[in-house]
Amino acid sequence: MRRRVGITGAGLVSPVADSPAVLVEAMASGRSGTRLMPFDPARDLGGRNTRPLDRLSQLVAAATARALIDAACDADYRAAHGVGLALGTVFSSVGTICAFDRRAIEVGPQYVSPLDFANTVLNAAAGQAAIWHGLRGANATIAAGGASGLQAIAYAADLIASGAIDAMVAGGADERSPEALAAIADAGLGDASGGTPLGEAAAMVVLEAEETARARGAQIRAMILGQASGMAHIPGASVDASLTARVARAALDEAGVRDVDARITAGAVFAIVGDTLGATGALQIVAGLETLRAQAHVRTVLVETTTADGHGCAIVMGAPPGAS
Amino acid sequence: MIDREPVVVTGIGLVTALGTGTGAWQNLLDGRCAIGPVRSFDTARHAAHVGAEIANFTPPADAAQFGRATGFALGAARHALADAGLARAEVDALRGGVTIGTTSGEPAFVERLEDSRAAGAASAEASADLAMHYPSHLLAARVARDAGFLGPAMTIPTACAAGNHAIAAAAGLLRSGRADVMLAGGADAFSRITFTGFARLGAIAPEYCQPFDRHRKGMVPGEGAAMLLLERAGHARRRGARIYAEVAGCGLSCDAYHMTGGDPSGDGAVRAMHGALADAGLSPGDVSYVSAHGTGTPVNDRLEAIALTRVFGSGGGGIPASSIKSMIGHAMGAASAIEAVACVLATVHDVVPPTIHYETPDPECSLDCVPNAAREYRVGIAMNNAYGFGGNNASVIFRKWEA
Repeated sequence: MRRRVGITGAGLVSPVADSPAVLVEAMASGRSGTRLMPFDPARDLGGRNTRPLDRLSQLVAAATARALIDAACDADYRAAHGVGLALGTVFSSVGTICAFDRRAIEVGPQYVSPLDFANTVLNAAAGQAAIWHGLRGANATIAAGGASGLQAIAYAADLIASGAIDAMVAGGADERSPEALAAIADAGLGDASGGTPLGEAAAMVVLEAEETARARGAQIRAMILGQASGMAHIPGASVDASLTARVARAALDEAGVRDVDARITAGAVFAIVGDTLGATGALQIVAGLETLRAQAHVRTVLVETTTADGHGCAIVMGAPPGAS
Repeated sequence: MIDREPVVVTGIGLVTALGTGTGAWQNLLDGRCAIGPVRSFDTARHAAHVGAEIANFTPPADAAQFGRATGFALGAARHALADAGLARAEVDALRGGVTIGTTSGEPAFVERLEDSRAAGAASAEASADLAMHYPSHLLAARVARDAGFLGPAMTIPTACAAGNHAIAAAAGLLRSGRADVMLAGGADAFSRITFTGFARLGAIAPEYCQPFDRHRKGMVPGEGAAMLLLERAGHARRRGARIYAEVAGCGLSCDAYHMTGGDPSGDGAVRAMHGALADAGLSPGDVSYVSAHGTGTPVNDRLEAIALTRVFGSGGGGIPASSIKSMIGHAMGAASAIEAVACVLATVHDVVPPTIHYETPDPECSLDCVPNAAREYRVGIAMNNAYGFGGNNASVIFRKWEA
């Protein structure tokens, strides 16, 4: 018997918004930006030594902190229950990895810092955020191209539905590292080719089994009704519309609905914060949550991320039972 | 949950420092050692000098530019599909998926960029390649494309537990009905960055890898890939496939304690093992073989022995628990995928591979590590354990298939 899964909290760090309400307001007003305001880790991570965390890890830890607070999922609950974490990312900490190799070349491999080496694995941000917040459940980093953030949420929802775990923080993050910016420009991608400029953000939501969320008295903001993911026949310069339609249809079928009241596309996120890569789908989910909260007539939302790299993922969310 | 339809293994593909396919399996049973001086870069300024590299690997002709790990993964995936006898017409492409674990993806693209920078200026070509070939999702995407699969595809970079994570994710996608067949496994390439880091941690052994030995001196970095073809038993039966073994249960946990060091209580590893046992509906006493993580570092092996003792009883319950890393080194994210294949074949052939270079018992690791020679006995249940940076723990249990 698969369990029903709900979302009980959300947190984000982005150039234009630090709360779901401001994110949706920015989407409505067209206010945009691709570079984070000077990010102050002390706001969310104050009082403890942040030095072991590189910038991406700090962004993820900060977004996770905000999501956990929003969900009222406190340290005592996390200590008593193995809450997990799933993070979608495209480039991981590529800047940190380049810097580690650069330093080994410059000063010699015998002098690089073992502390820095810990951050060269592709799951460093997920591991650091788990340590920071005491998240002892399953810890996964998910790489599915531009759909990574949504795929991470889909992965977490399935793990909870299966009964393997009761709660997970899930979402996505990528940063505008100098290396990623240069790579995208040199490859003729992004705004160099008239496309979407590279942005940066981290967005996380708290997913829980409906029964355990209710048992701890958490407020469920939305239910995950259906999901699907897949690959395009041939990745190319543009999005494969047939893949978009296929994953959306499959997610709607699983949700048992013929259509939805609102759709949040990746393009809606691109328009305000640029292409935030792994964070994109998670920002869409956060926008969907806020839409469900703020607009009483919206009972179902389709979130779909299909990108030119050939990955596609869709999730259908619904208003929680009993909400009107 | 024992009333659900079993997920089974019907194809395996191995690319290891001891060869491919059944040849690699025989070499593991024979206790051969692939460890030797590092060949792919100069280690003069490193504190360590040995590795377990794959010699003479030729990537598929159309994949040479994708990077070494992708070449390994494509090779292993093609082996697994051929081994499973899966023709493209037999599977709905929309319902075929891929999950691949890795620690570092394709770090050679970072190394080339930094080499060019050190030589004067960052090469625009190397920089462009970082966008075109480095992001780790490409491992899964390229294997999916090669197999003609259009269903769910993702890379799961969860360090040295990644192969098991990928198998667990694939089993989940099959159980939830999101796919009919999954290629699942892991791939990593021998890397200067990885070697440098482990050398600076003081973790690399001077000569060879001797897990659980009292005088063990460290791990040895390696490389490779393994892919398993997984499907539900009914799907396998309908197409007349040979079934190797069942993926009986999976357990995942995180220490949330330290990025590179394990929780000294062994708590995370214990929770992963208990999770896998519960998922499989089994008790510790049912387990007949443990494929240990067994890296060969003094601390890791001691913590693993503590965890095994907590789950199985004193001395790890006397259950044979060997580490093939003593032979092929530590293939990072691929390691637990390769070890998963070893578990599967152990249940098929009723023989388990040894831990080689075992000389002196360690009272702090009082396990039966199958010292130095393979052992034949009935292997009904094999548990594959993997632990990685970030505190990741993943256990997968394979059950002998008796249909």
